[in-house]
Amino acid sequence: MSKLPKKTRETSLKKKSLWFKNKITPYGFLSPALLILAGVLLFPLIYSFFLSFHEWNMASGEAMKFSFLDNYIKLFKSESFWHSIKLQLIFVGASVSIELIIGLAVAIFLNKDFFADKLVRALLLLPAFILPVVSGLAFRFMYNPQYGAINWFIKKLGFAPIPFLSHPKLAFLAIVIQDIWRMWPFMFMILYASISTFPKAPYEAAKISGANRWQIFRYITLPLLKPSIVIAVILRVLNALKAFSEIYVMTNGGPGNATTILSLFIYKNAFDFYDMGFSAGVSYILVIIALIFSVFLVKKQFDF
Amino acid sequence: MLNRDVSKWTTPKKIMFYTAVIILLLVELFPIFVVISTSFKPAKAVFDSNPFAFFNPTLKNYKEVLFERDFINNLINSVFIALMTSIISVSLGSLAAYSLSRFDFKGKKSIGLGILISRMIPPITLSVPLFILMRKIGILDTHLVLILSHISFILPFIIWMILPFFKGVSKAYEEAALIDGCSRMQSFIRVFIPLVAPGLVVSGIFSFVYSWNDFLYALVLAGSKVQTVPIAVSGFIGQFGPKWGAMTASGTLALIPTFIFALVLQKYIISGLSVGGID
Repeated sequence: MSKLPKKTRETSLKKKSLWFKNKITPYGFLSPALLILAGVLLFPLIYSFFLSFHEWNMASGEAMKFSFLDNYIKLFKSESFWHSIKLQLIFVGASVSIELIIGLAVAIFLNKDFFADKLVRALLLLPAFILPVVSGLAFRFMYNPQYGAINWFIKKLGFAPIPFLSHPKLAFLAIVIQDIWRMWPFMFMILYASISTFPKAPYEAAKISGANRWQIFRYITLPLLKPSIVIAVILRVLNALKAFSEIYVMTNGGPGNATTILSLFIYKNAFDFYDMGFSAGVSYILVIIALIFSVFLVKKQFDF
Repeated sequence: MLNRDVSKWTTPKKIMFYTAVIILLLVELFPIFVVISTSFKPAKAVFDSNPFAFFNPTLKNYKEVLFERDFINNLINSVFIALMTSIISVSLGSLAAYSLSRFDFKGKKSIGLGILISRMIPPITLSVPLFILMRKIGILDTHLVLILSHISFILPFIIWMILPFFKGVSKAYEEAALIDGCSRMQSFIRVFIPLVAPGLVVSGIFSFVYSWNDFLYALVLAGSKVQTVPIAVSGFIGQFGPKWGAMTASGTLALIPTFIFALVLQKYIISGLSVGGID
């Protein structure tokens, strides 16, 4: 080293420190966010995994006991767990597919220049941002057989009022209707954003060759829309897996357990029965379902 | 698809089109109409099932909610928590987005995707471990615990929401700043922050609304000493004697920030939605 002229040595040192600085800087900028996420997100997730291998009833005051796969065996044997899974799947499947149909139809219908078009789209989007709690309670109010507005319409049509929330099947239908009302505008917005940028040429060509509306939809619109449909559906599925508060305030999972989808099942086991290990196990099943869809989404949409 | 300009249509077609648009709006906005109109109804009219019946509008429900109940405190709690969550999420989120958009480094892809995927985890699964951990630390039922739990789902979203704004800044600006002797931090503050300011404002508003709308964490981690708006709104509907007037009045107040957001930021909402925004 001493043989090197002084100046070169200095610059090489400087270069080295600069190289080190450039290596470390990106992590420096990331670290505050990563540290806090490690604390409030990653650690709780790992802890929950750990918890799922233990038996622990928090209310009993007893210590946590390692039980290996007992919680998972218990939940796979539990009828109410499978019932929740079934409800969750029907809830997601029914609401997302109907939302897609309505969203798609409205996106095509409103893909025009008309008076106050921007305002109409903004107003249609309002329900998607309404507080889930307010939405759930508003529907609970409107479903009421004595003074609810929905039942007023039903009575006007000449039918007997329907006690939506006290009948198991109807209560489930009621939470699906609430979800559809709130979320089809989300589908609409994503599909509209895509549809409004479509090229005109294929439509002109189709018109010249005498294609009818159905053919235009089937062979031009639908293929062009497919990527957006896939993304919108995955996003909505992930979102529907998160549904909790609106159902909690509408039915609290009832009557019986007719509307106890997974999130309510987890909540009840954790905060009504304090069976923390078991509910952590159920949580992980839900996490795995959500992760499968996330991986699809990430592969479809995101890239560095 | 060809005649997209409705103003050039024939009159009967125009009438049909606008009638359909109006019916669509009426049906879709009906529940919101019910909430807002009920909030102005006197006690007796609340239980009149006809949603279009005439009534003498009154502010009694609002008076009850604001002055006889603790709702002002709930509003203050919610605003404070939402503001703190937004400030922390946007500051940390923009630092992280800067790093992800401007550097190439080991583990960048897995960190970025990890952050994105964490956004998709249903909050209910985090509520159980967070409840146990926060109970151990002894901060249940405080503002802090809600701010922390809101950051857990808002920060990952904010990072991905801000990322395109950082990517949109031309490299030349930063190079010029670095040549002039700015450090990375200085260039971040002096060059990037002013250029991405609109993005920061938009994502700040998104975080505010998500924090404002949260019910689950407010229910599980707090709820007796620290009550937020959604908890208070649902509190008006107990097992017995639901107070629909008070519930709709507080609900209407709770909707104000959300509606301003939806109407003003329409342009940005789509980009927010496509990174999994909306709860």
